[in-house]
Amino acid sequence: MTIGIIDIGVGNIGSVVNAVYNQGWDSISITKPEDLGSVSHLIIPGVGSFSFIMKRLRELNLDASICDFASQGSPILGICLGMQILGDAGSEGFHSLGLGLISGEVNLINRTAGLPLPHVGWNDVAEVNNHPLLDGVKPGVDFYFVNSYCFSATNRENVILETEYGECFPAMIAKKNVVGMQFHPEKSQRNGLRLLDNFCLWDGAC
Amino acid sequence: MIKCVKCGLPETFETIEFGPDGVCNVCVQHNFKKDVIDWSSRKLMLDKVIEENRGKYEYDCIVPFSGGKDSTFTLYYLMKEYNLKPLVVQFNHGFMRPQLLKNNERTFKELGVDVHSFTPNWNLVKRVMLEALIRKGDFCWHCHTGIFAYPMHVAIKYNTPLVLWGEPSTEYTAYYDYRDNEIEVVDESRFNKIVNLGITAEDMRGMIEDDLNKYDARDFAAFTYPPTRDLKKLRYQSLCLGSFIPWDTKMQSKLIMDELGWEGDEVEGMPPKMYDYEKIECSMQGVRDYIKFLKRGYSRVTQMTVLDIRNGRMSKDEAEKLIERYEGKKPQSLNLFLEYVGISEEEFNQIVAKTVVVPHKQDFKIDEWNPKTHDYEQWYSKKS
Repeated sequence: MTIGIIDIGVGNIGSVVNAVYNQGWDSISITKPEDLGSVSHLIIPGVGSFSFIMKRLRELNLDASICDFASQGSPILGICLGMQILGDAGSEGFHSLGLGLISGEVNLINRTAGLPLPHVGWNDVAEVNNHPLLDGVKPGVDFYFVNSYCFSATNRENVILETEYGECFPAMIAKKNVVGMQFHPEKSQRNGLRLLDNFCLWDGAC
Repeated sequence: MIKCVKCGLPETFETIEFGPDGVCNVCVQHNFKKDVIDWSSRKLMLDKVIEENRGKYEYDCIVPFSGGKDSTFTLYYLMKEYNLKPLVVQFNHGFMRPQLLKNNERTFKELGVDVHSFTPNWNLVKRVMLEALIRKGDFCWHCHTGIFAYPMHVAIKYNTPLVLWGEPSTEYTAYYDYRDNEIEVVDESRFNKIVNLGITAEDMRGMIEDDLNKYDARDFAAFTYPPTRDLKKLRYQSLCLGSFIPWDTKMQSKLIMDELGWEGDEVEGMPPKMYDYEKIECSMQGVRDYIKFLKRGYSRVTQMTVLDIRNGRMSKDEAEKLIERYEGKKPQSLNLFLEYVGISEEEFNQIVAKTVVVPHKQDFKIDEWNPKTHDYEQWYSKKS
């Protein structure tokens, strides 16, 4: 199995690459549509802003290729911003359309509670729906987050884990073979690495 | 010293905590083991793991093996219950006793298994024994690390993902807890947490690098945990049999004695016959137990009676009498140990004095010796 990791040429994807490597998997960088032909799994790390990352994916013709990859039933994992762009649209930067793989919109976290943004650090999560990727991960454990925007899912059945910071929002979403994690599994120590490992072992079936 | 009102384990024991009723956490998790864990579903988990591995690799599993009661029972059980093709991996710490070697030969021949044995460089062993004693008051670093790291290298070399150990650490300590109802994984994180004394092989190499004898990284390979990447790539599973069947050392010892002809042995500082199945594999056990007594104010007699009390086989009064009679005497093996590491008894006492665990106090004025064991004259000495 080979894990593809989207590399749009900005920011640091090293921690995701290293985490996948240390779990015993081999990965390659995906910079153009043809690269997807040789991978079994795809990870979209979150780098940049919603509007910027979507613009880059369109320039590289990767947006349609990712959707094709998803339609074949191959497992896809979006991390942080990589999860947010799985939605229909986002308001970060300027309003732009997402990949539309899991229905929902992305907006700034509710600031009425007066909590500082971004939401940085460890936060606990509650399980909303079960998912095969949660195998071996105990309920209520902490994951590491860095986000100012959050996902609002249209369908509750797509929410797997949720967390609370200013408001309650999804920490993990899923639809068929597509999964998103708002936290950084690659930076979440034992439990995060277990999720990442489970993803690499997963065949995309629920 | 504060002691558990139920089993008598003192406050200088690692990981111990006492509840409001004065009962220690190890006793509490032991009750959980007896009453709450669903052992029949645990056994089914083991069945599944075994069948996932059977016939698919160079061996069905690796069984790390010292020849003591736990690893002998583990091997016996896996052969009788599952009829596996295991590779037995033996890390020779340098102090295997004659009776143990006889037991091992009989066990291997009775069960019909392949055996892979490894013995590290004796000169390096002596040197790191001294270094670990000085730094941690525990000279067994080479054995702790070698026993847990070396079989993992063998698993990689023989492309065999399943490694099956014997008893889980939850039997004796609370680093892991039966109450978590979680399967204890024998991995690098556990190695760093409870096995290597906080000293990696790389650390140890740095600690002795001024030596006249230079050792390179290859000399430390057997004590180095292999990269997790390599183990994960193999999709390894490193588990304890005692996580899947309830561990009962007395019953299991009797079984291997009856079925394999396994024989116990006398151990320095222990009441004769009573615990002759326990820690018979190392001629330096007496020194190890003696250091524990100096550091923590209790020794192996306490540890063994604690298990009997928890299992309802002995009263606290009986235990106290045995402890009073047998603990705290000097082992004859101390003389050999001092010869190996090249220090005097006075230097030894000075080193150990720095590692005494509060609130225990130790005056180092012990001069009562245990008698020589029957095989003492066969233990390695340059002088003989």
